Amino acid sequence: MSASSSQALEYLELLPRQTHTKLYEQPATALAVYRCMLPHLAKSIVMAMLYMPHPFSVGALNDWFRPSAKKDKEKSLAVLEQLHIIVLKQDANNQRSYELYPGFQRSLRQALQGSGTHRSFGVPANTPDQDKVSVAFLDEYARRKWENILFYMVGSTVGLQTGSRAENEIGNGTITLLKMGEFIQQAHGRVSITRAGFTFVLQETNAQVWSLLIVYLKHAPDLGMQETEVLSFLFMLGSLELGQDYTTSTLSPTQLQMLEDLSAFGIVYRSSKNASTFYPTRLAVTLTSDAGALASAEPISNALTGSSSTRNSSQQGFIIVETNYRIYAYTSSLLQIAVLSLFTKLTTRFPNLVSGKLTKESITRAVKLGISSQQIISYLNSNAHPQMQKQRPFLPPTVMDQIRLWEYEGERVETSIGYLMKEFHSDAEYRDLANYAESLGVLVWRNDSRKVFFVDRVEQISLYLKKKAQR
Amino acid sequence: MVKAVKGTLVKCDASIKAMLVDIDSKRNNEFIIEDLDEEHVLVKETKVKELKQLLQSMLKERLKEPESSDSE
Repeated sequence: MSASSSQALEYLELLPRQTHTKLYEQPATALAVYRCMLPHLAKSIVMAMLYMPHPFSVGALNDWFRPSAKKDKEKSLAVLEQLHIIVLKQDANNQRSYELYPGFQRSLRQALQGSGTHRSFGVPANTPDQDKVSVAFLDEYARRKWENILFYMVGSTVGLQTGSRAENEIGNGTITLLKMGEFIQQAHGRVSITRAGFTFVLQETNAQVWSLLIVYLKHAPDLGMQETEVLSFLFMLGSLELGQDYTTSTLSPTQLQMLEDLSAFGIVYRSSKNASTFYPTRLAVTLTSDAGALASAEPISNALTGSSSTRNSSQQGFIIVETNYRIYAYTSSLLQIAVLSLFTKLTTRFPNLVSGKLTKESITRAVKLGISSQQIISYLNSNAHPQMQKQRPFLPPTVMDQIRLWEYEGERVETSIGYLMKEFHSDAEYRDLANYAESLGVLVWRNDSRKVFFVDRVEQISLYLKKKAQR
Repeated sequence: MVKAVKGTLVKCDASIKAMLVDIDSKRNNEFIIEDLDEEHVLVKETKVKELKQLLQSMLKERLKEPESSDSE
C-alpha cells in the first residue's frame, strides 16, 4: 500500500456498509480495493479465503501467525472488517469464524478469472480513431493541466502575476472545488493558499490527485451524483490502459458528467466536449497502482512534476542545500520556483538556476502560513539533487535541525484532535485496550500510571469494545 | 464503564504547560478539560486556536527575542 492511497483508504473506511456492498458489485472496484487499499498481510488473508467453501475459524486463522505478529494480524483484520470485506460470525456452538462477504468474493473471483459479462473494466472504442493521440501527448496534457491547478494555488499566494493567467485556464468548477476542500481561500478578491493547501501542494502527484478527488466525492451528492457511482468510475479508470481510447456509450449520465469534470483536472482527455471516446491519462491509470510509492526510481510519479524543458534533470531532483543554508535549485519551472519561495529567501535567478537562502525569517513565515518543518524537509529531501543523494542523509543534519528549531520557536505546542479514553476498571482492561489501539496505529499518547490514553480515531475502538461486551 | 472524551491533546514543555494552566485559570477554566501530566493537557477542540493566540501574546510579553543577525 502506498502512502498516497492511505488517505483514500481512510475515506473508504468511513463509508457505511450499504455503500461498500454496492461498490463491490463491480469487479473492477473489488480488484482495485484489493490491489491498492489493503496492506500486504490483509491481501494474503483475502487470497487464502477467496476459494474457501466454509467459514474460516478464528482458531485456525490464529495458527497461521507467529505470536510476535499479533499486532500486524489485528491491524489487517481491522482494516478488512472496516471495509466490510470479511465478517466475524458466531454459529450455534459458539464457534467464531471469519467469512468473506459474498458480494466481494464473487466480484473478486470474476475479476481474477475474467468471467461474467460485466463491463466494469471499460470498453475500448470499436472504430479506430482517425486522429489518435500519443502517450507523450497525453502526458504533456495531464502535466500542463495539473501544473496549472498547482500554480494557481501557489502563484497567487506568492504574488506572481501569472497566477491570474492560470485562473482562466483551470476553470470555475475546479476553483470552486479547491475552495470547498479549503485548499484556498478568497479574501478581498485575492486568492491565498491555506494550511491544507500546502499539505496538498507538497505531496506527490498521486496523493494530490486523490486529495482532490476525495473532495470531489464528498460533494458529489450536492451535484446530484451518486457517491457509489462516482467511486466505481474512479476505480474503473484506474484499471484502464494508457494510450487506448474508450467508448463513452456504455457510461451512465452521472459518469458522463464526471468525464467532463475530470477532463478539467487533466485526468482524462477528450478531443471535444461531445466526442464519443475518451483517453485516460497517466494521472488516471496510476490512481490505483503502487507505482507512485517508488518515487525516485519510478518515472511515473515524477514525470508529471517536472517542468517540460528541464524534464529529464528534474526527474532526479534539482535542489542542492549547503551547510551554510544556501539553496541552489536547477529549475526553470515557475511552479517549482513558487513552491521554493514559500519557505526560502530567493535572491538570484538565472535561466536554469535559482539560488537563495533558508533564513529564520523565511521559515517562520512559512510556519505561520501553515507549512510544517517536516513538510519542508521532506520536500527538500524528495527533490534533492543526485549530488546530494550521494551522502546520507541527503540534507545536512545541521540544516534539518535548524529548520525544526526555527519552527519550534514559533510553535511551542503540538496538538492532535481525538479522544481521551479513561476510567478503566482494571489494569488488565486498560492494557488490553491500549495495546489494541497501539496495534491499530491510532494511539497518540498513553500514561500507564494514570491508566489513560489518547487516540486520534475511535470507531474501531468502540467496535472492539462492543464485541467484547457481547462475548 | 470506559469513557471516551472528545478533545485536543496538547503536548508541550513543562514551562509552556504552566503558562497554559495559568491562562486557563485566569479565564474561568474555559479551555482545559483535563490536566494529564507534566507535558500533556486535554483542551476543548473549539478553543485551541484562541488558546494558542493567548499563549503567543504571553510569550511575546515575557520573552525578549534576541536580535536575529541575518547577514548574507
